[in-house]
Amino acid sequence: MKTKRVLIANRGEIANRVARACRELGHTAIGFYTDNELNAQHLQYCDEWIHLKGSTNAETYLNMDAIIELAVQHKVDGIHPGYGFLSENGIFAEKLNKAGIVFIGPNVEAIKVMGDKATSKALAQKAGVPVVPGTSEAVPTIAEAIKVANEIGYPILLKAVAGGGGRGMRACYDEDEIKKQFEAVGRESLSAFGNGDLLVEKLILNPRHIEVQILADKKGNVFHFFERECSVQRRHQKIIEEAPSPFIGEDEELRRELCETAVRLAKAVNYDSAGTVEFIMGEDKSFYFLEMNTRIQVEHPITEEITGVDLIVCMIQSAFGEDLNIPSQEWITRSGHAIECRICAEDPITMLPSPGLVTGFETNFPQGVRFDHCLFKDLEVTPDFDPMVGKLVAKGIVRSVAIRKMRAALEGVYIEGLKTNIPLHKVIMNEETFIAGKYSTSYISEIAPQDKINTEVDFTSIYKKMAGIEAKRLGM
Amino acid sequence: MRTYLIDSEKNEVVVDLTKTIIHSSDKVEFEFSSFVDSELVNKKSVIIRQLAGSYFYSENGVSWSKIAKQKLPKKILSIDRVFDVYRGYKPSGLAGGGEGALLTQMPGKIVKILVKEGDEVYKGQTLVILEAMKMENEIKCGVDGVVKSIHVKEGDALDSGILMLEVE
Repeated sequence: MKTKRVLIANRGEIANRVARACRELGHTAIGFYTDNELNAQHLQYCDEWIHLKGSTNAETYLNMDAIIELAVQHKVDGIHPGYGFLSENGIFAEKLNKAGIVFIGPNVEAIKVMGDKATSKALAQKAGVPVVPGTSEAVPTIAEAIKVANEIGYPILLKAVAGGGGRGMRACYDEDEIKKQFEAVGRESLSAFGNGDLLVEKLILNPRHIEVQILADKKGNVFHFFERECSVQRRHQKIIEEAPSPFIGEDEELRRELCETAVRLAKAVNYDSAGTVEFIMGEDKSFYFLEMNTRIQVEHPITEEITGVDLIVCMIQSAFGEDLNIPSQEWITRSGHAIECRICAEDPITMLPSPGLVTGFETNFPQGVRFDHCLFKDLEVTPDFDPMVGKLVAKGIVRSVAIRKMRAALEGVYIEGLKTNIPLHKVIMNEETFIAGKYSTSYISEIAPQDKINTEVDFTSIYKKMAGIEAKRLGM
Repeated sequence: MRTYLIDSEKNEVVVDLTKTIIHSSDKVEFEFSSFVDSELVNKKSVIIRQLAGSYFYSENGVSWSKIAKQKLPKKILSIDRVFDVYRGYKPSGLAGGGEGALLTQMPGKIVKILVKEGDEVYKGQTLVILEAMKMENEIKCGVDGVVKSIHVKEGDALDSGILMLEVE
């Protein structure tokens, strides 16, 4: 195996993670630092450091031409895009191909097909992957809407063609409601989006967000690494993920069916890297394809923890056309249960980003805990980047053990100077719906664990901080 | 030494450091009280010990818990609240009474007195430099005013709680 030069076009914890994978493979890890982050913490794991000039994301991590120019100049063999930024940008992958640089991710065609809601849904249907039942074209009349609703079954969702972000949507539980709502939603959508056309879609009640990890090479081998459940979300962003899914639980047949469906879809799009097929699962355990993420995901560590396979290493191997060292699907087995809490610099109650300066940082973890992070004393969390500063992962032999370890792990993260959502995670890890594993995507809005956070200022904790500060002041 | 923690809604937490006992180079004990409705309450002795490069906190010398080391920060966090930290003085517009008297917070030696009687001084201005634990500590003024009297001179070795200077 020839040593490669790998440029990491990302920052924060994922840049650390990729750099460490490069180190394992004997590749040279090359990291960027930008004008607004001269002390980029991820550089400590990189062998070479390159200045990517500029301060805005548009000037730096989203600047395709500047990145490619630097890559050519530094004789880079491949670029790992991490997640976010250019990770799912087909044009970037195409430009790299033209420049003779390997994009560490899937082929351009797969990115493009999966990057478009309509084409990905069409491809899924062709591959026999279930999609949320409903119309793909506007329904012109009430009669037509009722006809479709009778076919797919109630409840249904009347949904503006041009809608988004939860607006221009109305749930209907029977024919009468369609009659009542149809024109009203149409009028609303017309005034809100300038388009009154409506779709009819099956409404999945109390949905679970469950996704399957895929890993494929360039020789046509496609493996799945079981599922993750990511139903604890705020503003459609995940904050806690776990593997395996407590909702699927012991239902091995359902698990196999879900995972094999994901593999079928990945094969249909000639997938050749790490990727994730996202599904929505109803209370009756019927599942429907949502989208495929053609990148490594934030929550990949929980899958690594239950399968013992380094997904980033495999992703790099795959991109360079190397063997993944996985003899067959049967070799990929899972054991135990892993939970990830995303540690974000945000207010634990409003969940809004809260930038700040880390004035102190320590950890103290039990066995079975992994913390992928970019924290250090003096780190300044700026509004320029995502507020996620780390991913706390706990693994136990069964779910209850993983929760116990996570509780202890959360008590063992000491971050000073920064508001974080750790108090929220602590409440959730002790909240009965979560402990029972019976939560849906509406967990945060319905159960509202954030309202159970004790915000009273207690003198002991203030004295604790003050005592540390005074001791430091005395030169201890 | 009094520390004011003030959040964006002007809520205040006032903490007094009333005693410092240095047990060794790795162990120091503080006595804190908080100031609520003009009364000192929640008096507590706490110990900080350095072990294997980390700080540990104890209230009884038997149970210890790890804390993150930090220098005097500009902000202290408590769950969802952010307090600005003012050590030794209260920022303008918020000053109450009683800050005019400067007392030693730890045993130390006066290195330098930077003002003389009758000088006009402002909040946050360094008035005295006190050496303690091989470190020079800047003793800052708590109020705007005039130096009324100075009770010490350079080179004096002082115990904790000695009145050094008064500002009116």
